[in-house]
Amino acid sequence: MTERAWVLCWRLLILVVLVGAWEWLTGIKAISTTPGLYWIDPFFVSRPSVILRRFAYLASGEVRLSIWAMALSTVQSTLWGFVVGVSTGFAAGLVLGRRDRLARVFEPFIIAFNSLPRIALVPLITMIFGFGLLAKIVLAWTIVFFIVFFNTFQGARGVDADLIHSARFLGASERQVMRTVIVPSALAWTFAALTPSVSFALIGVVVGEFLGGETGGGLGYLIIQSLGTLNAADMMVALLTLGVIGIVMALGIKQVERRLLRWRPEYRTGA
Amino acid sequence: MEAVHDVSFEVADKEFVAIVGPSGCGKSTILNMLGGLVTPSEGAIELDGRPVADVPPNVGYVFQKDTVFPWRTVRRNIALGLEYRGVRGDEQERRVREGVRLAGLEGFEDAFPATLSGGMRQRVALMRTLVVDPEILLMDEPFGALDTHTKLTLHAELLSVWEARHQTVVFVTHDLSEAITLADRIIVMTRRPGRVKLVHDVGIPRPRDVIKLRETEEYAHEYSVIWRVLGEELAEPGGVQGDMRNAAAAHLGSGHPPRPPASRPPLE
Repeated sequence: MTERAWVLCWRLLILVVLVGAWEWLTGIKAISTTPGLYWIDPFFVSRPSVILRRFAYLASGEVRLSIWAMALSTVQSTLWGFVVGVSTGFAAGLVLGRRDRLARVFEPFIIAFNSLPRIALVPLITMIFGFGLLAKIVLAWTIVFFIVFFNTFQGARGVDADLIHSARFLGASERQVMRTVIVPSALAWTFAALTPSVSFALIGVVVGEFLGGETGGGLGYLIIQSLGTLNAADMMVALLTLGVIGIVMALGIKQVERRLLRWRPEYRTGA
Repeated sequence: MEAVHDVSFEVADKEFVAIVGPSGCGKSTILNMLGGLVTPSEGAIELDGRPVADVPPNVGYVFQKDTVFPWRTVRRNIALGLEYRGVRGDEQERRVREGVRLAGLEGFEDAFPATLSGGMRQRVALMRTLVVDPEILLMDEPFGALDTHTKLTLHAELLSVWEARHQTVVFVTHDLSEAITLADRIIVMTRRPGRVKLVHDVGIPRPRDVIKLRETEEYAHEYSVIWRVLGEELAEPGGVQGDMRNAAAAHLGSGHPPRPPASRPPLE
Protein backbone atom coordinates (compact mmCIF):
# COMPACT_ATOMS: atom_id res chain seq x y z
CA MET A 1 0.00 0.00 0.00
CA THR A 2 1.35 3.41 -0.88
CA GLU A 3 1.77 6.07 1.77
CA ARG A 4 -1.07 8.05 0.23
CA ALA A 5 -3.50 5.17 0.24
CA TRP A 6 -2.61 4.34 3.82
CA VAL A 7 -3.32 7.88 5.00
CA LEU A 8 -6.56 7.94 3.04
CA CYS A 9 -7.69 4.61 4.54
CA TRP A 10 -7.14 5.85 8.06
CA ARG A 11 -8.97 9.07 7.37
CA LEU A 12 -11.96 7.16 6.06
CA LEU A 13 -11.88 4.79 9.00
CA ILE A 14 -11.87 7.63 11.52
CA LEU A 15 -14.71 9.34 9.69
CA VAL A 16 -16.81 6.16 9.65
CA VAL A 17 -16.17 5.50 13.34
CA LEU A 18 -17.06 9.07 14.32
CA VAL A 19 -20.23 9.20 12.27
CA GLY A 20 -21.18 5.69 13.40
CA ALA A 21 -20.65 6.54 17.07
CA TRP A 22 -22.69 9.69 16.64
CA GLU A 23 -25.57 7.81 15.09
CA TRP A 24 -25.39 4.98 17.61
CA LEU A 25 -24.94 7.01 20.81
CA THR A 26 -27.77 9.38 20.02
CA GLY A 27 -30.04 6.39 19.60
CA ILE A 28 -29.59 4.92 23.10
CA LYS A 29 -32.36 5.70 25.51
CA ALA A 30 -31.36 6.63 29.06
CA ILE A 31 -34.34 5.03 30.75
CA SER A 32 -36.05 2.70 28.41
CA THR A 33 -39.54 3.40 29.67
CA THR A 34 -39.44 7.15 29.48
CA PRO A 35 -39.90 8.25 25.89
CA GLY A 36 -37.60 10.95 24.58
CA LEU A 37 -34.91 10.75 27.21
CA TYR A 38 -31.48 9.94 25.74
CA TRP A 39 -27.95 9.60 27.01
CA ILE A 40 -26.95 12.06 24.32
CA ASP A 41 -29.96 13.94 23.21
CA PRO A 42 -30.33 14.25 19.42
CA PHE A 43 -32.42 17.33 20.09
CA PHE A 44 -29.19 19.21 20.74
CA VAL A 45 -26.68 17.42 18.55
CA SER A 46 -28.97 15.83 16.00
CA ARG A 47 -28.07 12.56 14.25
CA PRO A 48 -26.27 11.84 10.98
CA SER A 49 -29.32 10.20 9.45
CA VAL A 50 -31.52 13.17 10.33
CA ILE A 51 -28.95 15.62 9.10
CA LEU A 52 -28.75 13.77 5.81
CA ARG A 53 -32.51 13.91 5.44
CA ARG A 54 -32.58 17.62 6.22
CA PHE A 55 -29.76 18.18 3.77
CA ALA A 56 -31.65 16.37 1.03
CA TYR A 57 -34.69 18.46 1.82
CA LEU A 58 -32.79 21.74 1.90
CA ALA A 59 -31.04 20.81 -1.31
CA SER A 60 -34.30 20.02 -3.08
CA GLY A 61 -36.36 22.53 -5.00
CA GLU A 62 -39.09 22.49 -2.36
CA VAL A 63 -37.54 25.23 -0.22
CA ARG A 64 -37.51 28.93 -0.98
CA LEU A 65 -33.85 29.35 -0.10
CA SER A 66 -31.97 26.14 -0.93
CA ILE A 67 -28.72 25.11 0.74
CA TRP A 68 -27.00 25.61 -2.62
CA ALA A 69 -28.09 29.20 -2.83
CA MET A 70 -26.93 29.84 0.72
CA ALA A 71 -23.60 28.11 0.20
CA LEU A 72 -23.08 30.04 -3.02
CA SER A 73 -23.79 33.30 -1.27
CA THR A 74 -21.33 32.50 1.52
CA VAL A 75 -18.65 31.38 -0.93
CA GLN A 76 -19.15 34.47 -3.03
CA SER A 77 -18.83 36.87 -0.10
CA THR A 78 -15.83 34.96 1.23
CA LEU A 79 -14.02 35.00 -2.10
CA TRP A 80 -14.65 38.70 -2.55
CA GLY A 81 -13.48 39.49 0.96
CA PHE A 82 -10.47 37.26 0.45
CA VAL A 83 -9.48 38.72 -2.90
CA VAL A 84 -9.93 42.32 -1.80
CA GLY A 85 -8.21 41.70 1.53
CA VAL A 86 -5.27 39.84 0.02
CA SER A 87 -4.65 42.30 -2.78
CA THR A 88 -4.85 45.41 -0.60
CA GLY A 89 -2.86 43.76 2.20
CA PHE A 90 -0.20 42.63 -0.25
CA ALA A 91 0.12 46.04 -1.88
CA ALA A 92 0.25 47.87 1.45
CA GLY A 93 2.77 45.37 2.83
CA LEU A 94 5.05 45.81 -0.18
CA VAL A 95 4.95 49.60 -0.06
CA LEU A 96 5.45 49.97 3.68
CA GLY A 97 7.97 47.13 3.69
CA ARG A 98 10.19 49.08 1.33
CA ARG A 99 9.53 52.58 2.71
CA ASP A 100 10.91 52.79 6.20
CA ARG A 101 9.71 56.29 6.98
CA LEU A 102 6.20 55.61 5.78
CA ALA A 103 6.15 52.44 7.86
CA ARG A 104 7.17 54.37 10.94
CA VAL A 105 4.41 56.93 10.37
CA PHE A 106 1.68 54.33 9.96
CA GLU A 107 2.82 51.87 12.59
CA PRO A 108 0.68 53.06 15.55
CA PHE A 109 -2.45 53.35 13.42
CA ILE A 110 -2.07 49.87 12.05
CA ILE A 111 -1.39 48.35 15.44
CA ALA A 112 -4.33 50.21 17.00
CA PHE A 113 -6.76 49.14 14.32
CA ASN A 114 -5.50 45.59 14.33
CA SER A 115 -5.93 45.35 18.10
CA LEU A 116 -9.66 46.06 17.83
CA PRO A 117 -11.66 42.88 18.12
CA ARG A 118 -13.16 42.74 14.68
CA ILE A 119 -16.44 41.42 15.97
CA ALA A 120 -16.92 44.75 17.76
CA LEU A 121 -17.01 46.39 14.36
CA VAL A 122 -19.90 44.31 13.10
CA PRO A 123 -22.68 46.66 14.24
CA LEU A 124 -20.87 49.70 12.86
CA ILE A 125 -20.18 48.03 9.54
CA THR A 126 -23.80 46.95 9.34
CA MET A 127 -24.90 50.48 10.08
CA ILE A 128 -22.75 51.86 7.31
CA PHE A 129 -22.98 49.17 4.65
CA GLY A 130 -26.34 47.61 5.37
CA PHE A 131 -27.12 43.90 5.42
CA GLY A 132 -25.97 42.95 1.97
CA LEU A 133 -22.91 41.56 0.24
CA LEU A 134 -20.87 44.73 0.77
CA ALA A 135 -21.02 44.57 4.58
CA LYS A 136 -19.78 40.98 4.55
CA ILE A 137 -16.94 41.79 2.19
CA VAL A 138 -15.89 44.72 4.34
CA LEU A 139 -15.98 42.58 7.46
CA ALA A 140 -13.88 39.83 5.88
CA TRP A 141 -11.54 42.49 4.56
CA THR A 142 -10.88 44.00 7.99
CA ILE A 143 -9.46 40.68 9.10
CA VAL A 144 -7.75 39.38 5.98
CA PHE A 145 -6.06 42.67 5.18
CA PHE A 146 -4.03 42.69 8.37
CA ILE A 147 -2.95 39.08 8.24
CA VAL A 148 -1.68 39.46 4.69
CA PHE A 149 -0.30 42.91 5.36
CA PHE A 150 1.87 41.87 8.30
CA ASN A 151 3.29 38.86 6.52
CA THR A 152 4.03 40.67 3.28
CA PHE A 153 5.54 43.53 5.25
CA GLN A 154 7.94 41.15 6.95
CA GLY A 155 8.74 39.46 3.66
CA ALA A 156 9.38 42.72 1.81
CA ARG A 157 11.56 43.93 4.65
CA GLY A 158 13.61 40.78 4.82
CA VAL A 159 14.60 40.69 1.16
CA ASP A 160 18.29 39.82 0.91
CA ALA A 161 20.14 43.08 0.14
CA ASP A 162 22.66 41.24 -2.03
CA LEU A 163 19.86 40.01 -4.30
CA ILE A 164 18.77 43.61 -4.79
CA HIS A 165 22.35 44.69 -5.41
CA SER A 166 22.95 41.97 -7.93
CA ALA A 167 19.79 42.97 -9.78
CA ARG A 168 20.98 46.57 -9.82
CA PHE A 169 24.33 45.51 -11.23
CA LEU A 170 22.54 43.58 -13.93
CA GLY A 171 20.87 46.82 -14.93
CA ALA A 172 17.52 46.66 -13.14
CA SER A 173 15.51 49.83 -12.66
CA GLU A 174 13.69 50.53 -9.40
CA ARG A 175 10.50 48.99 -10.82
CA GLN A 176 12.30 45.97 -12.18
CA VAL A 177 13.85 45.36 -8.76
CA MET A 178 10.36 45.47 -7.28
CA ARG A 179 8.95 43.08 -9.86
CA THR A 180 11.78 40.58 -10.10
CA VAL A 181 13.24 40.59 -6.58
CA ILE A 182 10.96 42.02 -3.93
CA VAL A 183 7.62 40.64 -5.09
CA PRO A 184 8.85 37.05 -5.53
CA SER A 185 10.74 37.11 -2.21
CA ALA A 186 7.77 38.50 -0.35
CA LEU A 187 5.35 36.06 -2.00
CA ALA A 188 6.70 33.17 0.01
CA TRP A 189 5.73 35.04 3.16
CA THR A 190 2.40 36.15 1.77
CA PHE A 191 1.44 32.60 0.92
CA ALA A 192 2.03 31.51 4.47
CA ALA A 193 -0.78 33.93 5.39
CA LEU A 194 -3.28 32.77 2.78
CA THR A 195 -4.57 29.58 4.36
CA PRO A 196 -5.44 31.26 7.65
CA SER A 197 -6.83 34.16 5.62
CA VAL A 198 -9.45 31.94 4.02
CA SER A 199 -10.62 30.76 7.42
CA PHE A 200 -10.74 34.29 8.72
CA ALA A 201 -12.57 35.55 5.67
CA LEU A 202 -15.12 32.82 6.29
CA ILE A 203 -15.44 33.91 9.92
CA GLY A 204 -16.02 37.50 8.87
CA VAL A 205 -18.67 36.50 6.37
CA VAL A 206 -20.55 34.15 8.68
CA VAL A 207 -20.64 36.72 11.46
CA GLY A 208 -21.94 39.21 8.93
CA GLU A 209 -24.61 36.72 7.89
CA PHE A 210 -25.74 36.27 11.48
CA LEU A 211 -27.06 39.81 11.24
CA GLY A 212 -27.71 39.82 7.56
CA GLY A 213 -31.26 38.51 7.30
CA GLU A 214 -32.72 36.65 4.39
CA THR A 215 -31.63 38.88 1.53
CA GLY A 216 -28.55 37.20 0.16
CA GLY A 217 -28.65 35.07 3.30
CA GLY A 218 -25.86 32.56 3.43
CA LEU A 219 -25.06 29.71 5.75
CA GLY A 220 -24.78 32.09 8.69
CA TYR A 221 -28.40 32.99 8.12
CA LEU A 222 -29.35 29.30 8.22
CA ILE A 223 -27.51 28.92 11.53
CA ILE A 224 -29.32 31.84 13.12
CA GLN A 225 -32.64 30.65 11.69
CA SER A 226 -32.01 27.20 13.17
CA LEU A 227 -31.29 28.75 16.53
CA GLY A 228 -34.61 30.50 16.34
CA THR A 229 -36.45 27.27 15.62
CA LEU A 230 -34.20 25.14 17.83
CA ASN A 231 -33.40 22.96 14.85
CA ALA A 232 -30.07 21.23 15.50
CA ALA A 233 -30.22 19.25 12.27
CA ASP A 234 -30.34 22.35 10.08
CA MET A 235 -27.59 23.92 12.12
CA MET A 236 -25.45 20.85 11.55
CA VAL A 237 -26.18 20.98 7.82
CA ALA A 238 -24.89 24.56 7.78
CA LEU A 239 -21.83 23.75 9.87
CA LEU A 240 -20.85 20.72 7.82
CA THR A 241 -21.31 22.65 4.60
CA LEU A 242 -19.07 25.41 5.99
CA GLY A 243 -16.48 22.79 6.82
CA VAL A 244 -16.53 21.46 3.28
CA ILE A 245 -16.25 24.98 1.86
CA GLY A 246 -13.27 25.65 4.13
CA ILE A 247 -11.48 22.49 3.02
CA VAL A 248 -12.07 23.10 -0.67
CA MET A 249 -10.82 26.67 -0.44
CA ALA A 250 -7.73 25.71 1.54
CA LEU A 251 -6.92 22.98 -1.00
CA GLY A 252 -7.34 25.45 -3.84
CA ILE A 253 -4.83 27.78 -2.20
CA LYS A 254 -2.39 24.95 -1.64
CA GLN A 255 -2.54 24.22 -5.37
CA VAL A 256 -1.82 27.82 -6.34
CA GLU A 257 0.98 27.96 -3.77
CA ARG A 258 2.51 24.75 -5.09
CA ARG A 259 2.56 26.21 -8.55
CA LEU A 260 3.88 29.68 -7.69
CA LEU A 261 6.43 28.50 -5.15
CA ARG A 262 7.57 25.45 -7.08
CA TRP A 263 11.14 26.74 -6.89
CA ARG A 264 11.25 26.02 -3.18
CA PRO A 265 12.81 22.70 -2.22
CA GLU A 266 9.83 21.67 -0.10
CA TYR A 267 7.57 21.71 -3.16
CA ARG A 268 9.93 19.88 -5.44
CA THR A 269 8.79 16.37 -4.72
CA GLY A 270 5.38 15.18 -5.73
CA ALA A 271 4.40 18.55 -7.17
CA MET B 1 34.77 51.53 12.50
CA GLU B 2 37.38 52.23 9.89
CA ALA B 3 37.63 49.41 7.40
CA VAL B 4 40.35 50.74 5.14
CA HIS B 5 42.70 53.68 5.50
CA ASP B 6 44.39 55.75 2.84
CA VAL B 7 44.09 53.18 0.09
CA SER B 8 45.01 54.34 -3.36
CA PHE B 9 45.52 52.37 -6.54
CA GLU B 10 44.66 52.44 -10.19
CA VAL B 11 43.43 49.70 -12.42
CA ALA B 12 44.23 49.95 -16.10
CA ASP B 13 41.81 49.09 -18.88
CA LYS B 14 41.63 45.32 -19.56
CA GLU B 15 43.77 44.61 -16.53
CA PHE B 16 43.13 41.73 -14.13
CA VAL B 17 43.88 42.88 -10.59
CA ALA B 18 43.57 40.75 -7.49
CA ILE B 19 43.34 42.13 -3.96
CA VAL B 20 44.55 39.77 -1.23
CA GLY B 21 44.81 40.29 2.48
CA PRO B 22 43.88 38.82 5.83
CA SER B 23 40.22 38.39 6.74
CA GLY B 24 38.59 41.64 7.79
CA CYS B 25 41.17 43.86 6.08
CA GLY B 26 38.52 45.71 4.11
CA LYS B 27 38.96 44.00 0.74
CA SER B 28 35.23 43.68 0.23
CA THR B 29 34.69 47.26 1.35
CA ILE B 30 37.02 48.43 -1.39
CA LEU B 31 35.08 46.42 -3.93
CA ASN B 32 31.78 47.78 -2.64
CA MET B 33 33.13 51.30 -3.00
CA LEU B 34 34.23 50.54 -6.56
CA GLY B 35 30.74 49.27 -7.25
CA GLY B 36 29.07 52.30 -5.76
CA LEU B 37 27.40 50.32 -2.96
CA VAL B 38 29.41 52.10 -0.27
CA THR B 39 30.41 55.77 -0.37
CA PRO B 40 33.92 56.40 0.93
CA SER B 41 34.00 58.71 3.96
CA GLU B 42 37.06 60.39 2.48
CA GLY B 43 38.55 60.46 -0.98
CA ALA B 44 37.01 59.44 -4.26
CA ILE B 45 36.49 56.57 -6.64
CA GLU B 46 36.76 57.45 -10.28
CA LEU B 47 35.81 55.50 -13.33
CA ASP B 48 37.15 56.85 -16.62
CA GLY B 49 37.75 60.13 -14.80
CA ARG B 50 34.19 60.45 -13.49
CA PRO B 51 33.33 59.91 -9.83
CA VAL B 52 31.37 56.75 -9.02
CA ALA B 53 28.15 57.77 -7.28
CA ASP B 54 25.68 54.95 -7.79
CA VAL B 55 25.88 51.49 -9.30
CA PRO B 56 27.67 52.26 -12.58
CA PRO B 57 26.43 50.78 -15.85
CA ASN B 58 28.68 48.26 -17.61
CA VAL B 59 29.97 46.97 -14.32
CA GLY B 60 29.31 43.36 -13.42
CA TYR B 61 29.52 42.22 -9.81
CA VAL B 62 29.83 38.62 -8.69
CA PHE B 63 29.14 38.15 -5.00
CA GLN B 64 30.69 35.68 -2.63
CA LYS B 65 27.26 34.80 -1.41
CA ASP B 66 24.91 32.84 -3.58
CA THR B 67 22.83 35.50 -5.31
CA VAL B 68 21.19 33.35 -7.93
CA PHE B 69 17.45 34.03 -7.75
CA PRO B 70 15.97 30.85 -6.30
CA TRP B 71 12.57 31.42 -7.91
CA ARG B 72 13.99 31.49 -11.43
CA THR B 73 15.24 28.59 -13.47
CA VAL B 74 18.83 28.53 -14.73
CA ARG B 75 17.69 29.86 -18.10
CA ARG B 76 15.71 32.72 -16.62
CA ASN B 77 18.49 33.61 -14.21
CA ILE B 78 20.94 33.94 -17.05
CA ALA B 79 18.36 35.97 -18.98
CA LEU B 80 17.93 38.50 -16.13
CA GLY B 81 20.40 41.12 -17.29
CA LEU B 82 19.13 40.89 -20.85
CA GLU B 83 15.56 41.21 -19.61
CA TYR B 84 16.43 44.33 -17.60
CA ARG B 85 18.08 45.87 -20.64
CA GLY B 86 15.12 45.13 -22.86
CA VAL B 87 16.88 42.46 -24.96
CA ARG B 88 14.00 40.17 -25.90
CA GLY B 89 12.89 37.46 -28.25
CA ASP B 90 15.36 35.61 -30.47
CA GLU B 91 18.32 37.74 -29.48
CA GLN B 92 17.73 37.02 -25.80
CA GLU B 93 17.26 33.35 -26.45
CA ARG B 94 20.42 33.13 -28.52
CA ARG B 95 22.56 34.83 -25.90
CA VAL B 96 21.08 32.80 -23.06
CA ARG B 97 21.72 29.59 -24.95
CA GLU B 98 25.31 30.69 -25.51
CA GLY B 99 25.62 31.48 -21.79
CA VAL B 100 24.21 28.13 -20.77
CA ARG B 101 26.69 26.44 -23.09
CA LEU B 102 29.65 28.42 -21.76
CA ALA B 103 28.63 27.61 -18.21
CA GLY B 104 28.43 23.92 -19.13
CA LEU B 105 24.87 23.75 -17.87
CA GLU B 106 23.17 22.21 -20.90
CA GLY B 107 20.37 19.99 -19.74
CA PHE B 108 19.84 22.08 -16.60
CA GLU B 109 18.18 25.04 -18.32
CA ASP B 110 14.85 24.49 -16.61
CA ALA B 111 16.24 23.44 -13.24
CA PHE B 112 15.65 25.60 -10.19
CA PRO B 113 18.77 26.63 -8.23
CA ALA B 114 17.74 24.58 -5.19
CA THR B 115 18.43 21.44 -7.24
CA LEU B 116 21.96 22.52 -8.27
CA SER B 117 25.31 22.19 -6.51
CA GLY B 118 27.13 25.22 -5.16
CA GLY B 119 29.56 25.17 -8.07
CA MET B 120 26.75 25.08 -10.62
CA ARG B 121 24.97 27.95 -8.91
CA GLN B 122 28.11 30.05 -8.93
CA ARG B 123 28.51 29.26 -12.63
CA VAL B 124 25.01 30.59 -13.18
CA ALA B 125 25.86 33.74 -11.23
CA LEU B 126 29.03 34.24 -13.22
CA MET B 127 27.37 33.64 -16.56
CA ARG B 128 24.42 35.84 -15.65
CA THR B 129 26.94 38.64 -15.17
CA LEU B 130 28.98 37.87 -18.29
CA VAL B 131 26.05 37.49 -20.66
CA VAL B 132 25.43 41.25 -20.65
CA ASP B 133 29.08 41.81 -21.55
CA PRO B 134 30.23 44.19 -18.80
CA GLU B 135 33.45 46.11 -19.41
CA ILE B 136 34.40 45.92 -15.76
CA LEU B 137 34.02 42.89 -13.53
CA LEU B 138 34.09 43.17 -9.74
CA MET B 139 34.39 39.81 -8.05
CA ASP B 140 34.17 39.38 -4.29
CA GLU B 141 35.64 35.99 -3.41
CA PRO B 142 33.29 34.42 -5.93
CA PHE B 143 34.76 30.94 -5.54
CA GLY B 144 35.39 31.18 -1.80
CA ALA B 145 32.75 28.67 -0.85
CA LEU B 146 33.70 26.03 -3.41
CA ASP B 147 35.87 22.96 -3.09
CA THR B 148 39.35 23.00 -4.64
CA HIS B 149 38.45 20.95 -7.67
CA THR B 150 35.42 23.05 -8.62
CA LYS B 151 37.45 26.15 -7.93
CA LEU B 152 40.16 25.14 -10.39
CA THR B 153 37.60 24.35 -13.06
CA LEU B 154 36.01 27.75 -12.61
CA HIS B 155 39.43 29.43 -12.70
CA ALA B 156 40.05 27.86 -16.08
CA GLU B 157 36.62 28.93 -17.31
CA LEU B 158 37.04 32.47 -16.05
CA LEU B 159 40.47 32.74 -17.68
CA SER B 160 39.22 31.51 -21.02
CA VAL B 161 36.34 34.00 -20.96
CA TRP B 162 38.68 36.77 -19.91
CA GLU B 163 41.21 35.94 -22.59
CA ALA B 164 38.45 36.16 -25.19
CA ARG B 165 36.84 39.39 -24.00
CA HIS B 166 39.45 41.12 -21.82
CA GLN B 167 37.21 42.76 -19.28
CA THR B 168 38.84 44.90 -16.60
CA VAL B 169 38.68 42.73 -13.49
CA VAL B 170 39.10 43.48 -9.81
CA PHE B 171 39.09 40.20 -7.97
CA VAL B 172 39.04 40.04 -4.16
CA THR B 173 40.24 36.86 -2.53
CA HIS B 174 42.07 35.55 0.51
CA ASP B 175 43.47 32.66 -1.49
CA LEU B 176 46.93 33.62 -2.69
CA SER B 177 47.12 30.73 -5.16
CA GLU B 178 43.94 31.94 -6.77
CA ALA B 179 45.30 35.47 -7.07
CA ILE B 180 48.53 34.28 -8.71
CA THR B 181 46.68 31.97 -11.08
CA LEU B 182 44.34 34.67 -12.34
CA ALA B 183 45.78 38.13 -11.98
CA ASP B 184 48.19 40.42 -13.81
CA ARG B 185 48.78 42.40 -10.68
CA ILE B 186 48.25 41.63 -7.01
CA ILE B 187 47.53 44.21 -4.34
CA VAL B 188 48.40 42.96 -0.86
CA MET B 189 46.52 44.60 2.00
CA THR B 190 47.52 45.02 5.63
CA ARG B 191 45.34 44.05 8.56
CA ARG B 192 42.41 46.25 9.51
CA PRO B 193 42.24 49.12 8.92
CA GLY B 194 43.56 47.95 5.58
CA ARG B 195 46.23 49.82 3.67
CA VAL B 196 48.05 48.84 0.52
CA LYS B 197 51.07 46.86 1.65
CA LEU B 198 52.47 45.77 -1.68
CA VAL B 199 51.60 46.03 -5.33
CA HIS B 200 53.12 43.16 -7.22
CA ASP B 201 53.13 42.39 -10.95
CA VAL B 202 52.67 38.71 -11.62
CA GLY B 203 55.32 37.69 -14.13
CA ILE B 204 53.63 34.54 -15.34
CA PRO B 205 52.92 34.55 -19.09
CA ARG B 206 49.48 33.92 -20.53
CA PRO B 207 47.65 31.86 -21.51
CA ARG B 208 47.97 30.05 -18.21
CA ASP B 209 47.11 26.47 -17.45
CA VAL B 210 45.53 26.53 -14.00
CA ILE B 211 46.76 23.03 -13.13
CA LYS B 212 50.23 22.89 -14.67
CA LEU B 213 50.93 26.43 -13.54
CA ARG B 214 51.32 25.25 -9.98
CA GLU B 215 54.24 23.01 -10.81
CA THR B 216 56.29 25.82 -12.36
CA GLU B 217 59.24 27.64 -10.85
CA GLU B 218 57.66 31.00 -11.62
CA TYR B 219 54.60 30.14 -9.60
CA ALA B 220 56.69 29.04 -6.64
CA HIS B 221 58.71 32.21 -6.91
CA GLU B 222 55.67 34.49 -7.05
CA TYR B 223 54.11 32.64 -4.20
CA SER B 224 57.09 32.96 -1.90
CA VAL B 225 57.66 36.63 -2.73
CA ILE B 226 54.10 37.59 -1.88
CA TRP B 227 53.83 35.18 0.99
CA ARG B 228 56.83 36.77 2.67
CA VAL B 229 54.98 40.09 2.74
CA LEU B 230 51.55 38.68 3.51
CA GLY B 231 52.97 36.38 6.16
CA GLU B 232 54.37 39.38 8.04
CA GLU B 233 50.90 40.81 8.09
CA LEU B 234 49.51 37.64 9.58
CA ALA B 235 52.32 37.20 12.08
CA GLU B 236 52.52 40.73 13.44
CA PRO B 237 51.64 41.01 17.12
CA GLY B 238 48.64 42.84 18.51
CA GLY B 239 44.92 42.60 17.99
CA VAL B 240 43.06 39.45 17.26
CA GLN B 241 45.85 37.96 15.22
CA GLY B 242 46.16 34.88 17.41
CA ASP B 243 43.54 32.67 15.81
CA MET B 244 43.19 34.84 12.77
CA ARG B 245 46.72 33.98 11.82
CA ASN B 246 45.94 30.32 11.93
CA ALA B 247 42.71 30.74 10.06
CA ALA B 248 44.24 32.90 7.39
CA ALA B 249 47.30 30.72 7.07
CA ALA B 250 45.05 27.73 6.63
CA HIS B 251 43.14 29.50 3.88
CA LEU B 252 46.21 30.76 2.18
CA GLY B 253 47.90 27.41 2.39
CA SER B 254 45.03 25.66 0.67
CA GLY B 255 46.43 26.18 -2.79
CA HIS B 256 49.11 23.48 -2.51
CA PRO B 257 52.26 25.43 -3.30
CA PRO B 258 55.00 23.17 -4.69
CA ARG B 259 57.17 23.68 -1.64
CA PRO B 260 56.51 25.41 1.65
CA PRO B 261 57.72 29.00 1.40
CA ALA B 262 60.61 29.69 3.70
CA SER B 263 58.94 32.54 5.53
CA ARG B 264 55.73 30.74 6.32
CA PRO B 265 54.80 31.56 9.89
CA PRO B 266 54.91 28.65 12.27
CA LEU B 267 51.44 27.39 13.16
CA GLU B 268 51.48 27.08 16.86
